[in-house]
Amino acid sequence: MAVVELQAISRSFELGNTRVTALDKLDLTLEKGEFVVLRGVSGSGKSTLLNLIGAMDAPDAGEVFIHGQALSSLSDKQKSQLRSRYIGFIFQAFNLIPVLTALENVQYPLSLQKVPDREAKARAAKALAQVGLADFVDRRPNQLSGGQMQRVAIARALVTNPDIILADEPTANLDSETSKQIMDLLGSLNRETGVTFLFATHHDFVLSRASRVLELKDGHIVKDEQAHNLTLVENSPGEKLG
Amino acid sequence: MLRLKLALLNVLRNGRRSFITLLAIQFGVISLILMGGFFASMYEGMREGVIRSQLGHIQIYQKGFNQFGNQEPEKYLIDAEVLQQVTGQIEALEQVELVTPRLNLTGLLTDGSKSLAVVVEGIDPEKEALLSSAVKLTAGEDLFEEDIDGALIGDGLFKSLNLEVGASLTLMATTADGSFDARDITATGAISTGTREVDNRFMRINLKHAQELMYTQGVTRLVVLLKETQDTDAVMAQLNRAFKEQGLALELRSWSDLADYYHEVVNLFDGIFSIVQLIVLAIVLLGIVNTMVMAVMERTPEIGTIRAIGGTRGEVMKLFISEAFILGLIGSVLGVVFAVLLAQGITGAGIMMPTPPGSSQTYPIRIFTDADLLWKNGLFGLLIAVISSIYPAVKASRMVIIQALRFA
Repeated sequence: MAVVELQAISRSFELGNTRVTALDKLDLTLEKGEFVVLRGVSGSGKSTLLNLIGAMDAPDAGEVFIHGQALSSLSDKQKSQLRSRYIGFIFQAFNLIPVLTALENVQYPLSLQKVPDREAKARAAKALAQVGLADFVDRRPNQLSGGQMQRVAIARALVTNPDIILADEPTANLDSETSKQIMDLLGSLNRETGVTFLFATHHDFVLSRASRVLELKDGHIVKDEQAHNLTLVENSPGEKLG
Repeated sequence: MLRLKLALLNVLRNGRRSFITLLAIQFGVISLILMGGFFASMYEGMREGVIRSQLGHIQIYQKGFNQFGNQEPEKYLIDAEVLQQVTGQIEALEQVELVTPRLNLTGLLTDGSKSLAVVVEGIDPEKEALLSSAVKLTAGEDLFEEDIDGALIGDGLFKSLNLEVGASLTLMATTADGSFDARDITATGAISTGTREVDNRFMRINLKHAQELMYTQGVTRLVVLLKETQDTDAVMAQLNRAFKEQGLALELRSWSDLADYYHEVVNLFDGIFSIVQLIVLAIVLLGIVNTMVMAVMERTPEIGTIRAIGGTRGEVMKLFISEAFILGLIGSVLGVVFAVLLAQGITGAGIMMPTPPGSSQTYPIRIFTDADLLWKNGLFGLLIAVISSIYPAVKASRMVIIQALRFA
């Protein structure tokens, strides 16, 4: 079963007196284990697409399915539970909770799932070790560099074992060297965990790491290319290789 | 546990704002405790004042006195035999401090040149001295049993007749059989009951003297003083039962049945207290809502993040309400502690209040800090804090996630 399926999605916004179409009758399927890069100029609908898949926004027309579940049939609470269980988020500005330590930030989504404290702590520590921050568990966000904060955010996205991680410009606030390290990390996590990644970016170096590249323009997918090399996921059943 | 820790850390995060919120809660709790404590002390002072100056805890009359006694008081007197029988019975009760008879009459007091209508009370001086501890002697000496013709004159009456201690007066009254008689009396002293109205018309003479004047051996009422005011209802019930069983035609009234003025004052002050409570509630509520809304605005992206990573609306609401609960708890506890200290300080300072309307005595400010008052107002502070957080919490929980995430 596809992790994500979008059927004839349309979404438009009021902008002053005009209505701007962000997505227009868009179809898309994302399979387990894909490492998908979403490209497009500013305003092409990348963030809108991520928001719709992340159950944080609703389309004007069409349907979004996560794990076969139509989002339009879910209540706000059920959408929250779906995000908690199936979706991880990585934000451009990291969005860590400043009063919590790195460990607590990663532990927090598990706490929302009512995972017992001891188990949540152990899983959070493991996730931080996976992103190379085993020695930084007690640091607060203001005691970490940008790259380290983004690693904490990645650990937070991973810790709930989601099916898909959505990342909106995850390297936009990082220098190029750190950005490459972060992308390498995401690539290796994709291979190790089999989790599907979908991230919006305008960095070209990311393309070489993608298994699939989508290009958005005026609300349509104008390019959908499969890569033959680099970050292919081993044993991923739904892999669409060209 | 982590969610509670997050709430606590959020409270500590903006120290100045939390401090202001705590001050608002403490202000509310302290004001209400001090005001409530002051009113409680006033109520108690008034209550014990009327009990120990006029009413006693329980009054016993001949059946029908309260309905018809005003027109024909002489027909509703407790006769000497019944008086003796029930006095011993009542005195035997362990809750009872003393029982004393009173014979009431109205008459005309004259000094030869001026006559004034007076309310006269024939008393047993020894027992009455114990019962009427709130009656203050303002001039001369107390009344004793051997002062057969002695009289204690109400302070206002004493002054309006320009009397001096030892002054000779004549008291005229209607006797029990309807004729008219007069007795010479001597002003042994002046008294203040604490109520100006009473002091302007009131006087006390020896019971025997009053009985002679009225040609009777009976009394109007028996006044019972208890050791504790709280036993009033229980003793009333016990006496009612006993009198019924013995077939005695007596009726009982408690101090509460008779203290109309006390109840009027209590109702008035309770009304004032409710209005003050509302004002305090509004001030504290607005203060907390304001700071909580600011916190919500500041933490908008964080709220968006919590919602994005799976937090439900309820979760966001719980977070803000928990923060308010923590602030309310700390604020209320500190408020109660400071209120107790302030109450002790003010009570200890012995500040005198001016004479209240209708009263003839000043009194020191006392602020009671009963456990009941403390926990109720502490809880009030906590509830205000929690209630104040509901609007900001709902506002936070209703945020559109993607807008909250974009907010900077």
